[in-house]
Amino acid sequence: MSMKETAHEIAEEAATWATKIDAGSVDPDTHPGLKAWLAANPRHRGALLRAEGALSFIDRARALAGVIPKPEPRPIWIRRKLQFAGAALAASIACAIVMLPAPQHYDTEIGEIRQVPLSDGSLVAINTQSNIQVGMREKTREVTLTKGEAWFKVAHDKSRPFIVSAGRIRVRAVGTAFSVRRHDDGADVQVTEGTVETWTAGEEDRKVQVAAGTKAYVAENQPPKPITAPADIERSLAWRDGQIVLEGETLDQAVSQFNRYNTKQLVITDQSLAKEKLVGQFRATEPGNFADAVATTLGANIKETGDTIQLSRAKAH
Amino acid sequence: MLSGCGNLALVHRMITEGSISEVLVSAQSRKDIVAWIGSHVLPHEAAVRSWLRRWTGRVQDIDDVVQEAYSRLAALDSVSHIASGRAYLFQTTRNIVLEQVRRSKIVRIDNVTDLGSLNIVDQAPPVERVVGGARELAQVEQLIERLPAACKRVFVLRRIHGESQREIARMFGISESAVEKQAVRGLKLILKAMEGDNLAKESEEDVNEHERDRTRNR
Repeated sequence: MSMKETAHEIAEEAATWATKIDAGSVDPDTHPGLKAWLAANPRHRGALLRAEGALSFIDRARALAGVIPKPEPRPIWIRRKLQFAGAALAASIACAIVMLPAPQHYDTEIGEIRQVPLSDGSLVAINTQSNIQVGMREKTREVTLTKGEAWFKVAHDKSRPFIVSAGRIRVRAVGTAFSVRRHDDGADVQVTEGTVETWTAGEEDRKVQVAAGTKAYVAENQPPKPITAPADIERSLAWRDGQIVLEGETLDQAVSQFNRYNTKQLVITDQSLAKEKLVGQFRATEPGNFADAVATTLGANIKETGDTIQLSRAKAH
Repeated sequence: MLSGCGNLALVHRMITEGSISEVLVSAQSRKDIVAWIGSHVLPHEAAVRSWLRRWTGRVQDIDDVVQEAYSRLAALDSVSHIASGRAYLFQTTRNIVLEQVRRSKIVRIDNVTDLGSLNIVDQAPPVERVVGGARELAQVEQLIERLPAACKRVFVLRRIHGESQREIARMFGISESAVEKQAVRGLKLILKAMEGDNLAKESEEDVNEHERDRTRNR
């Protein structure tokens, strides 16, 4: 059923091999997978040569090391607007940003997961399609989750509480690790270390404590009920490593997880498949692999269109 | 129309058939060939593509033709006999197009006569236009600058500062495979950009310049 590869597909595959060769994880002379790929089509060899040539072309610009500042694990340096306008300018912009009290914005595209160390020593992992603003003030550390989900490992600082706002929902921590996922009418709060306090703005008298290994759905109009489920929490935070871990989730739940990370959307066209339960660990950005696994384990059919992968029940033979 | 390109084409054919490669030149290391592709061929790809667009006008076919050209380059044991990577790429590409025209699959027949204009690249320009250091650096800057943020960070660390994937993973607290993913994404985007219009514009001017030169020489 395999169709003829397009030049574009070959070029993309070649980029992957070239990167692996460059990183030293694939030996170009001996790797069996690479050998097989090269043997499959004479175009592959040319495409690989071109991709490696491109890396070599870029490397000729190592001289730029003095011009393009070394990105630090602190992404403040690398805001999109920062131009390579020369080291001095770059440095001055970077300084200006560091010293500005204005909130920092961080956003992620679909499928992108970003880890951001904050200036107070805390660490934020930002999940796919999310947006946060961070404001470090004298008395408080304030994060606004305008969209999506983030996990925070908060540096201990009693004098400056760390408060996350998601709509009207507030989560307050001192030195804790927890995640917040924003929904239309509330937020999921999951705590992996320490304890947080959560409430709805305007209802400060009804604060609820959520401890490590506990999660709670905090809705605007009802008091949260914390549930203890440490294993669930670890699993649902697998996104920090780019993973989706399924432990008996139904196919439709799994599909909605994958669809958060990919423009190529999984669609279940046969509802009798939707409630099948699955166990497994997958890369969040590889819905095709997941679909293949579903096809094999559940006997489903896969049909790929431009931006969907449709899953249906295989007809009985 | 074809007379001007005889020598190069012949050498090319003999080499790809393997008949004289051993005699003429000893095989070069893969690394040297990759470096040569990066410095002498790839920077001219945009110009070749823009030339192809003018004569054939079909983007998908162009991708195929260019890829075929690289697969012929990949079949060479050595490139040390090639005086001008640019001329060679034009030459090889033209041969491929002509072969296709003869099989009348891809290019409309009324374009065949236009292909005569390829005489402009039959021979290497008198002085190979070495992409000047400063201009090359500017190109790379531009390519990197256009990458999405996450990708750019990884790419700059890996390529410009020579950090290993493992070190980058450690710096950002992400898995090595996440670093690799960004590196792959960056390379894909850069490969795409090197086909591109901005780069082509400058190179196209070069072509026109040669065209003018030749006209004057006649």
